[in-house]
Amino acid sequence: MSVKIEPKNGLTVCYIDGEVDINSSPDIKKSFDKLISKKTPKIVINFSKVAYVDSSGLATLVELLKNMKAYSGRMRLVGLSPKIKSLFEITKLEKLFEIMNTEDEAISTF
Amino acid sequence: MEMKKLVIEVPSEIKYIKDISSKILKLLATYGIDDDTLFDIKLCAEEALRNAIEHGNGCDKKRSVKVSLWVDDGKVNIEVEDKGSGYNPELLPDPTDNGNLMKNSGRGVYLIKKLMDEVKFNKAGNTITMMKRIG
Repeated sequence: MSVKIEPKNGLTVCYIDGEVDINSSPDIKKSFDKLISKKTPKIVINFSKVAYVDSSGLATLVELLKNMKAYSGRMRLVGLSPKIKSLFEITKLEKLFEIMNTEDEAISTF
Repeated sequence: MEMKKLVIEVPSEIKYIKDISSKILKLLATYGIDDDTLFDIKLCAEEALRNAIEHGNGCDKKRSVKVSLWVDDGKVNIEVEDKGSGYNPELLPDPTDNGNLMKNSGRGVYLIKKLMDEVKFNKAGNTITMMKRIG
């Protein structure tokens, strides 16, 4: 699993490549901790290279969102496969997260 | 007649979760199961294993977790047993309640119940048996 962080159009876009699960969650958290400590206001996370998310991965994303909300930061998730999107629907986490289809859409309307 | 295809017993360490789910998926590779169903089976097996290792056995390496897999009548069955004192799954809070949505845990068993076709717990609450239709 890797996380590539790129500034784009005044936002921060994070590309996760690999599984977002119990094994990778500590590293994902570490990657985002740097952005959160700098109070990065707007983060787009691109999931187009993520094929698997488990409850640990969901919990990590909830924690990131909570930490961002503490300083009024906002996070958007894009590029989720239908299967991974369905996990957000089943767990009702779609109510918490701003989920959009494409990175362009998320950036242009942020 | 049910035929056990795989029985594995491992110490309670998180590192074994991926080994076991890989073995399960390798064994199921010959059944022509679609990707979404395999995703559900992998996820639920890993969630049940994590629960057994962390909550059931409290990550005590001296306590083992036993996983059994068998396929019969177009159904994949997975059983995960720990050595803990068990719990009542009915008492778990609903992670989709508004007050629980922001919590960092509590979605594992919920996902298993939603994604598998049948989920049973033994009376003691330390063995979960899950079934997913593949036919």
